[in-house]
Amino acid sequence: MNRKVGVIGVGMSKFGRRNDVTVRELAWEAVKEAFEDAGLTQQDIQLTVIGSTAYRGTEIYPAPPVSEYCGLVGKSPLRVEAACATGSSAMFTAVNAVASGMADIVLVIGIDKMTEVDTSTSLAIGGRGGNYYWEFHMYGTTFPTYYALYATRHMALFGTTEEDMALAAVKAHKYASYNEKAHFRNRITVEDVLKSRVISWPIKLLDSSPISDGAAAAIIASEERIRELKIDTPIWVRGMGYSSDTSYIAARGEWVGLKAAKDAAYMSYKMSGYTPHDIEYATVHDCFTIAEIMAYEDLGFVEKGKGAVLLREGQTEKDGKVAVNLFGGLKAKGHPLGATGVAMVYEVVKQLREEAGPVQHSFKNYVALTHNVGGTGHYAFVGIYSR
Amino acid sequence: MDGIPLIMKYTLPAEELYKPFWEGLKRGEVLGTRCKKCGTLYFPPQRDCPKCMVSDMEWVDVGKSGELMTYSVVEQKPQGFENFDRYTIGIAKTEKGVYLMCWVIGAPKVGAKVSLTSDGHRVLCEVKA
Repeated sequence: MNRKVGVIGVGMSKFGRRNDVTVRELAWEAVKEAFEDAGLTQQDIQLTVIGSTAYRGTEIYPAPPVSEYCGLVGKSPLRVEAACATGSSAMFTAVNAVASGMADIVLVIGIDKMTEVDTSTSLAIGGRGGNYYWEFHMYGTTFPTYYALYATRHMALFGTTEEDMALAAVKAHKYASYNEKAHFRNRITVEDVLKSRVISWPIKLLDSSPISDGAAAAIIASEERIRELKIDTPIWVRGMGYSSDTSYIAARGEWVGLKAAKDAAYMSYKMSGYTPHDIEYATVHDCFTIAEIMAYEDLGFVEKGKGAVLLREGQTEKDGKVAVNLFGGLKAKGHPLGATGVAMVYEVVKQLREEAGPVQHSFKNYVALTHNVGGTGHYAFVGIYSR
Repeated sequence: MDGIPLIMKYTLPAEELYKPFWEGLKRGEVLGTRCKKCGTLYFPPQRDCPKCMVSDMEWVDVGKSGELMTYSVVEQKPQGFENFDRYTIGIAKTEKGVYLMCWVIGAPKVGAKVSLTSDGHRVLCEVKA
């Protein structure tokens, strides 16, 4: 990066089934909190990047109504999209704008209102999350099916079990119970997961993140402006890696990890100078429970095939070797696609500032990571942040 | 309140664009394309070779049998597939080394030997006894 970039304000709406608001009010919940957190107003913002997949909502071009409602007219020339990694693609765009010198202070908004359509329609949209013509049209894939193909092979090659995967869901719900903004705050057991309805075997309902509405926002700025504004708790962007993979999932040749995530992690580690052992806290993209297990491996926290061991040993719990998803993860906090990547930034900023209340992790060196996957590894972004 | 429905009807270039593929399926054959210049085999078939920047392709059979690499049983079906019984989506590797998506017929198992067939609409992989 040409210039050092930091996060100076974050906000997040309540996630869940938000029939009480349209996309505009939902965005404002997150944006207002981010402004108050940074101590800034709309006048300080030079550019707004809005990440939204938008397809499941009535407002399919959400950037104009959102920016108007939030008092940002003239400052939001684009909306970006990278499926479930849309929020990180918005962060990536914003960080580039600041690092390059194009802008000094940028607002990132991640938002999606997904519950405006019924579940069958939502599955049909998600099932197009690979290659419409050669997959969905011919085979009726659903989004859970894509991850299920990985889960089946991971189970066959490494002996990972449905019980192992259930542990990721149990952990997510446990931590979400402390998060007032989470979609689900109920605790569940391994048995609850195993007994839940099969969606696309081996993935069951409680292995799956919910279809959620939500928004998150982050304000990022150049080092120079951060010093001028006398911000005392900036969280610095240390690494930002990205990659992608084939749309046609069969073409990948192996289905036990996401190559895009592995490559994005490598890029981010290299850029930041950190290694997997330096990461004390991570938000990983647990859209399905198998995804959390593969994330541990793809990020280098453990060798390939051993992801479930970290769960069984509790090493990714609060105060464990590397704490993961203490705000409840996509699984229980909720997964409004466009918001997710920005909500990950919200989470690591809160953790690194030690503002995470009952789920505050103990840091030594204050280094955290965000792992956000779009599609089934069709896109991946890995961010590394430090205090 | 109810929003105004958005009904999307699509027209695809489907059959004409990859006509030999669909004709092959009707005969029970699975065809991909191969670049005549560099020999790269494309599945799904492509009309253009981005490596050579040329569009001189030939249609080739990608295989008759293979190995089941992974699978999933779809219980909750998406819009458009409600009228099907539960189906199993798999990924197979053919004897020619081509990876493709399929519906699996018979009891699925990772590593099982399969025969490639078709119902005229999609590739089927039948698990060998």
